Parts: sequence; C-alpha cells; structure tokens
Amino acid sequence: MRNKFLEYFLLLARIFLGFIFIYAGAGKISDPASFSQSIQNYRLFPLEIINIFAIIIPWIEVICGLLLFFGISVKENSLIISSLLFVFTLAVAISMLRGLNFDCGCFGKPSPIGWQKLGENSLMMLLGIILIIYDSKLLNLTSKNENN
Amino acid sequence: MKISYKNILTILISAIFIGMIYNSLNPKGIPIIKEKKELVFENDSLIHSLENKKENLNLDSTLNAPIVNTTTEKKADEKTEVPNQNNPPNKIEPFSEPKAIKIDLAYKLFKQGVKFIDARMPDEYQAGHIKGAYNIPFDGDERYREILNNFSKDEILVVYCSGTDCDLSIYLGREIFEKGFKRVYIFFGGWNEWLEKNYPIDRGTNAE
Repeated sequence: MRNKFLEYFLLLARIFLGFIFIYAGAGKISDPASFSQSIQNYRLFPLEIINIFAIIIPWIEVICGLLLFFGISVKENSLIISSLLFVFTLAVAISMLRGLNFDCGCFGKPSPIGWQKLGENSLMMLLGIILIIYDSKLLNLTSKNENN
Repeated sequence: MKISYKNILTILISAIFIGMIYNSLNPKGIPIIKEKKELVFENDSLIHSLENKKENLNLDSTLNAPIVNTTTEKKADEKTEVPNQNNPPNKIEPFSEPKAIKIDLAYKLFKQGVKFIDARMPDEYQAGHIKGAYNIPFDGDERYREILNNFSKDEILVVYCSGTDCDLSIYLGREIFEKGFKRVYIFFGGWNEWLEKNYPIDRGTNAE
C-alpha cells in the first residue's frame, strides 16, 4: 500500500489536469476557425497541415482529459498530455524568442504568450510526468477490476 | 504497470476519427486543408462612391481634376443621386472580407481623411510612415490594439505594411475585420510604393 498522501496528491493532479484539458479542448472544439488562426499565428507550420491540427488536437485534449479525470489509462493519457504540453511550451518559447506577441490560443479566453504561460505549461507538464511515473489508482473506474 | 502503447494508439486514432467526423458534421467546421485566401481587389466603382462621399463630408476638395466639379455640377449630381437613397453615398457597404486596394485608391482614401493603420513593428513605423497613420504592429504588444477602441466600427480603415512582399497587413486586416470593423482595406503596395510616389509621410511615434 502506497502512502495515502501521495495517492490523494495524484488524484488531485489527475482531476486538475483532466479538467484543464477538457475545458481547453471544449473551447477549441466550439470555435475551430479561431483555433486554426491561433496555430497560424505561431508561424511554425505549413498552411496545409494547420487545419488538421485544429480539428484533431482539441479532441485529443478532451478525450485524454476525460479519461484522466475518471482514472482510465492514467499513465498513457498523462504521456499524451505531457507530450502535447511539451510541444505547446516549445511553440510558446520559440515565439517569445522570435519576439512575437499574440494570443496563445490556449483557452477560449485570450491569454497572451509570455513567461506566465511558460510557467503554467511547465507546471502542468511536471504534474503529467509525476502521473506517468506513479500512476493514480484512487477512485478510478478500472482499479476495482484490476484488484480482484 | 507498464505504459501500453496500444492504448495510446487507440486514444489517438479515436481522437482523429471523432475529430474528423465531428468537423464534417459541424456547421462551423473548417476545411481539412486550409486554403490560402486570395486577396480580392476593390473594383473601380468604389472611386465613384468615394467622390460622393467626399462631397457629403465636406472635406477639402483636393482630389484630382475630373472629380472636382463646379458647384452647379455638384447640385446636378446631387439631384441625380436622390433616387439612390437606399444606398447612401457616404456609407460604403460592409464587406464580406477585407479588400485589397492599390496605390491610386489608397491615395484617394488618404485624401478623404480615412484612417490608415501601419502593421509594421514600432521601430519601422517611427523611421517613417504614411502621414497620420496609426501604428498597430501585428506581431507587437497587445496594447497597441487598444487604439481600435477609439474607432467606429463603421469607419473605413486602411491597413498597410512595407509592400507587396509582406503579409502583416493581410493578417492584421483580417484580424480587425473579425473584430467587427467591416470596412477594412488592405493597401497592397504599402509603405514602399507610398514612398516612391512621394506622398505625404511622417516620422516619430503614434500621434495619439
């Protein structure tokens, strides 16, 4: 039996990350055109693939967020979410180095790119990595089956 | 428990699948391959409506010779305009997208006192810009965009950057258009062409 404190911490981390990604993904799904424009603002990708990202990434966010929230395949979903966060953070960092300044397109409401965004993303990435390492078994939908 | 790559693949494939299906069913869906939007150029009919607009606004009559009429001719013109009151000449219809214009039309609009917006970076703007233009650097600080709050949504705005090679004016023009300014022009020739023609310029920071 693992430390109870750790279990509760992992549960909170899981729910927090899950909620953030459901919220962020849902905002983008409701307005794909804006998200597509946001990706274009980064000027990192060719025009042809931008919309494919804009169509798929929000759904990855929502699905991973939901599964994480309910504690299904926590390690796998944390890995996907951390990878996404890594790419997002890299994109924000590159844009900052290039001196660009625009809305990051992270959530529905405008939030400019900058150090704050880098900090938030890094923190969430850290939570994701902790979840990949430790998993989270408390209050999840699959653990009962596995224990029996 | 080890990470199951099969699960990851399943999750990603499901997301692609759901995303594609949802997008095709969603009325607000976007094309899978983003199209490069072609700029639509304003046609010459605008020049005529501008002539009328100028008279209505009572601005300095500094336009080219064929446009400057004698007072009697103006009166005659106004009479002929009466049946077209559905489309008041001092109001250009809202556009369905920002329209591109060339230097001749840009200069005419400039003479009308239409607001110009410089989409280049502040240092370029300070080195020289179209006289009276406001600076909203597309890649710059978000605070520059606050100037827009002072503008009326019905106003004609002309956005430009350095020239035909730059796309800042196109991006900014579309952004402003999305914000509700429905009469946005993109001056295609931009700063370089303006300078070549020796049209009025200014240096320094934003006037306001």
